[in-house]
Amino acid sequence: MSVDQKKPGVTTAEASIDSGRRNFFRASAAGVMGASALLGIVPEQIRNSAWAAGTDAPEITEVKIGFIPLTDCAPIVVAAEMGFDKKYGIKIIPSKEASWAGVRDKVVNGELHAAHVLYGLMYGVQMGIGGQQKDMAVLMALNNNGQGITLSSQLKEKGVTSGATLKRLLDNENRDYTFAQTFPTGTHAMWLYYWLATYGIHPFQDVKTIVVPPPQMVANMRIGNMDGFCVGEPWNARAIFDKVGFSVATSQDIWTDHPEKVLGTTAEFIAKNPNTALAMTKAILEACRYIDATANRSKVAKLISGKAYVNAPEEVIEGRFLGHYDNGIGKKWEDPNYMKFFNDGKVNFPYLSDGMWFLTQHKRWGLLKSDPDYLGVAQKINQIKLYTEAASQLGISVPKDPMRSSKLIDGAVWDGKDPKAYAASFKIKA
Amino acid sequence: MLRVMLVDNHLERTAPLKQTLSEAGYEVIAHLTDTANLDDAVRKLQPDVVIIDTDSPSRDTLEHICVMSANTPKPILMCTHDGNTDKIREATKAGVSAYIVGGLTNERLKPIMDAAIARFDEFKALRHELNEVNSKLADRKVIEKAKGLLMKQRGIDEDEAYRLLRNMAMNQNIRLATLAEQVVQAAKLLL
Repeated sequence: MSVDQKKPGVTTAEASIDSGRRNFFRASAAGVMGASALLGIVPEQIRNSAWAAGTDAPEITEVKIGFIPLTDCAPIVVAAEMGFDKKYGIKIIPSKEASWAGVRDKVVNGELHAAHVLYGLMYGVQMGIGGQQKDMAVLMALNNNGQGITLSSQLKEKGVTSGATLKRLLDNENRDYTFAQTFPTGTHAMWLYYWLATYGIHPFQDVKTIVVPPPQMVANMRIGNMDGFCVGEPWNARAIFDKVGFSVATSQDIWTDHPEKVLGTTAEFIAKNPNTALAMTKAILEACRYIDATANRSKVAKLISGKAYVNAPEEVIEGRFLGHYDNGIGKKWEDPNYMKFFNDGKVNFPYLSDGMWFLTQHKRWGLLKSDPDYLGVAQKINQIKLYTEAASQLGISVPKDPMRSSKLIDGAVWDGKDPKAYAASFKIKA
Repeated sequence: MLRVMLVDNHLERTAPLKQTLSEAGYEVIAHLTDTANLDDAVRKLQPDVVIIDTDSPSRDTLEHICVMSANTPKPILMCTHDGNTDKIREATKAGVSAYIVGGLTNERLKPIMDAAIARFDEFKALRHELNEVNSKLADRKVIEKAKGLLMKQRGIDEDEAYRLLRNMAMNQNIRLATLAEQVVQAAKLLL
């Protein structure tokens, strides 16, 4: 129901109080009519609830959210395209970005209000790695799983089909092998380094590491610029589709249900716009719930495949999006740990242990020179209180413990209890 | 003569800038369009300044080079097509050495380049200082902790604990903070 067409007063009040008070406040906020004049003519009881609700009106109603063309940008696109944003009184404007550094700069300087962003990048900015320090905020996690490591077809011809056979090749061949990831502090860098190290390969000493933006990975592999890369879907599937490489590992092999992209902004933004931050979290959380329903996935794949978003053939996105995996060298399987966006809210909760893990890896690889206050930093960035409020309002359960325990590919267990010892425990490190 | 590297995937857009730079006495050592070669080029050619388009995907590659080789970061100038002064000011605050908007004329070029390099040097000096202060602070914390442990374990006062630590560090020829860290770790295991 639209406020502008409705005469304020008893009629509004007698309609559903819930939708009534939202519109009621918007009417006054938009200056359709003086707030005080309105207040004068509604019954006392309604006036009180309207006033209380008034405090939760979004401070900014047009929210510009940046994204990089990847399957896991879906929550931003779905929230905007399918109207979950309007439900919470905001309009999300998705903004396609060319580089993660660009996303970072634009979030830091306020040109973007928020972004679909690499978990690790948020922590990198907080710690001032590679640029100016700025206090950041993770509102929620957007997805688990659905990234992967691709090796070139040339490596396959040399008999490489796994981490172990890759190690053997590197030990026996005297040439530089190059591996690409997507951002120095980001998630793909950390998955790639972790995976290589699991097989005894030092990511800086035994191979050369470069950074290539996600949509350019496949083209660069085709012309022989790299032997392997770690990136989010659909670009691993695309490499197989284009017959330039094969999947040697999925990120869920490295860490089942690992944290990946987040909805990120600055601490300054949420301090100034707490209601917008809440509305945005609710809209995107609801989009995540929508995407995770199997029945909706094909439709979402079609939606994000467009030129304005991921810009890749629908069939390349859809397969792995539905859990149908094919590694390109003869193995096909249904992956129960495919890209998840909701999983009853377990995906979206900003676990402190997830955030701290990236700090432990930044320390491990020398991006951080000394141990930070792991828990303190995570508590500052991850907005558990705001998330809990958003989730409760949507009836989504919130985990009781802000830490979770996971066993990674090398058998090591990460539970967030002793980050300093964990960070120091790896044999292969910078 | 300052050696400049241009990075832009739109050759025609940067061509006039290249000309302006040469005329103003800068040596344009490379003009790259390709992300993958950037890595090798920066390492090999060691430019004094890198000029790159704000919206270039290659920025991530450049970022990686700067982060991974802490000893060779270069001032980076961003070309942008957005002339909003507030945005530029914010971006500069965010650590970008300088933003160039639209075309560059000869007389504007030198001051902008000079300012970018000065800013960059200042930033680097501040960063260095910050790192030093931070590590001193961390040292102090661990030394305090080790002192506390000694005082409690051996029933001695603060001065005595400090003297013990200092003497031992001197005898072993290691940093006081290193010894303190060892004491704290040992205490964790033994106590």
